Amino acid sequence: MKGVYIIKRLLTSLAAFCISVTIMFILLRLMPGDYITMYLETIYRYAPPDVVEAFNHVYSFDRPVLEQYLLYLMDAFQGNWGYSLIYKVPVLTVIGEKLVWTMVILVPATALAILAGIGIGAYSGWKRGSKVDIALMNGMIFVRAIPSYWLALMILIIFGYYLNLFPLGGYVDTSALTSGIDPLDVAKHAVLPILTLFLFSVTGTYYLMRNSMLMTAGEDYIITARAKGLDEMTILRKHAMKNAMLPMVTMVTLDCAGMITGSIFVETIFSWPGLGMLTYKALLFRDLPLLQGILLIDTLLIIVANITADLIYPLIDPRVQVGDGV
Amino acid sequence: MTVSRKIILAASLGIILTYCAVAILAPMIAPYDPHAITGAPLSPPDREHPLGTNDLAQDIFSRLIWGTRATLLIGFLGAAIAVVLGTGIGIVSGYYGGMIDEAIMRIIDVAMTIPIFPLLLILTTFFRPGIYVIAVLMGLLGSFQGVRLIRSQVLSLAVADFVTGTKALGARDSYIMGRHILPNVLPLAGVKFVFSAQHFMLIGIGLGFLGIGDPSVVDWGQMINRASQNGAIILGLWWWLIPPGLAVTLISLALAWLGYACEDEINPRLRLLRV
Repeated sequence: MKGVYIIKRLLTSLAAFCISVTIMFILLRLMPGDYITMYLETIYRYAPPDVVEAFNHVYSFDRPVLEQYLLYLMDAFQGNWGYSLIYKVPVLTVIGEKLVWTMVILVPATALAILAGIGIGAYSGWKRGSKVDIALMNGMIFVRAIPSYWLALMILIIFGYYLNLFPLGGYVDTSALTSGIDPLDVAKHAVLPILTLFLFSVTGTYYLMRNSMLMTAGEDYIITARAKGLDEMTILRKHAMKNAMLPMVTMVTLDCAGMITGSIFVETIFSWPGLGMLTYKALLFRDLPLLQGILLIDTLLIIVANITADLIYPLIDPRVQVGDGV
Repeated sequence: MTVSRKIILAASLGIILTYCAVAILAPMIAPYDPHAITGAPLSPPDREHPLGTNDLAQDIFSRLIWGTRATLLIGFLGAAIAVVLGTGIGIVSGYYGGMIDEAIMRIIDVAMTIPIFPLLLILTTFFRPGIYVIAVLMGLLGSFQGVRLIRSQVLSLAVADFVTGTKALGARDSYIMGRHILPNVLPLAGVKFVFSAQHFMLIGIGLGFLGIGDPSVVDWGQMINRASQNGAIILGLWWWLIPPGLAVTLISLALAWLGYACEDEINPRLRLLRV
């Protein structure tokens, strides 16, 4: 059962990746005109026929569509994702470089959001109906309703411009030109982007944790614990929290796509040199190879998050075998 | 339902209806043509221009009013498509079960792994579609979650006594699905519609914010983008930057509150435990 499930899961992921690749392939075929002629004409206003032919031959555009598709698929799996038009280097190289910077803000923001969301959500659900709970709930609904790009702009204006506490954008100070990159300086630049992503993500975690706590609070073992005479804090920590936290693992999966979207806006607004701002730049300059690379990398990130969540679940909840709960 | 909840519900419904009215009556309410040059550029709010003018000397108040149309259109059209598709496929999948269900679920498993927003970005960049096409695309790409939600509800309905009874009377499948199952999942579909509309509005404005919008359509995303790209923050031109952002936040908040209030009503377990 376990092995079958993992294989099924991997096959689904493989299919998802292939579909992403296929969509890109079809999009490329649907684009009007032929790529090299248009490209050369924009630079030289003239496309020499022999150059076009040589290009089409090198990139196998003169072969049957099916063969082109298979080649394209193979290239995608071998990490041969073409060259970025704006950076003039392989797409994977650019993406790898930028991914690191995205992780610098994404990992702390997500970790903090999960911790805070679980803590506040558990408390809120445990004290259901109380003034604190209602205030927290409405506050979270409020924050969640603010679009991430607007939140980022407001945080930038308040903390960066009016209070002047943090830099307005970028990732290092100009002093980095002479003295190299100082981790403290980077951290100072990262505070506002991390804060925005944190606020963006914590509301989802909170909501799920609170709902999960509402369900758990009605379970028989909580009543039993209370009948034993345990004090409220012990019941909350030892019995309720542990069980209510389980659905949070799936949350990571759901959150991943949302965080990718959120980081596009946040990085663009704070000029943070990560994958999100790269997406914006690629859009601005119509860098097709780079855009398709980003779509593939995003797909891969979601797949990895999915599989990880699936495999972690049975480790933290021994009642669940791989493949049945999630 | 407590009194404060009723007030919140009434307020959010009021806001949504007001936005709808503004969208419909835009040509009558707006003092200027949203594209017209109406005076000096970047002038602060005064009697002639309630919210001042932008860098092209267009009246910001008029643009704000016209922008309601694009926002509501994307949100509601997208959500309608997503919910109709999600409910239809979800009912069929959950009711028949077996091979059909398995096939649909596997397709959804795969589809859910593809990041929708980046895909939408690529599609819109290279095809420059109009606002209707964007709404339809969002509806199609966003329907997968709805299928899962509705299906899980239908699974238990399909084996309920009243369904088995109706089947024993010789009713056709299409009749059972239409007359007995559909009404039971409608409340859930309604909540999904409200949340989807909120989500799609934010995405639609987000596309405009990233500079991928139809330039001939006035939308709040492009307004925010233009203001923030042209130094509204540094120059302190709040009337240029703040109004479109507040407008989005308000409608988003109203829809969110409406959604949570409805969810409360239809999910008895949450309600019983809540107060």
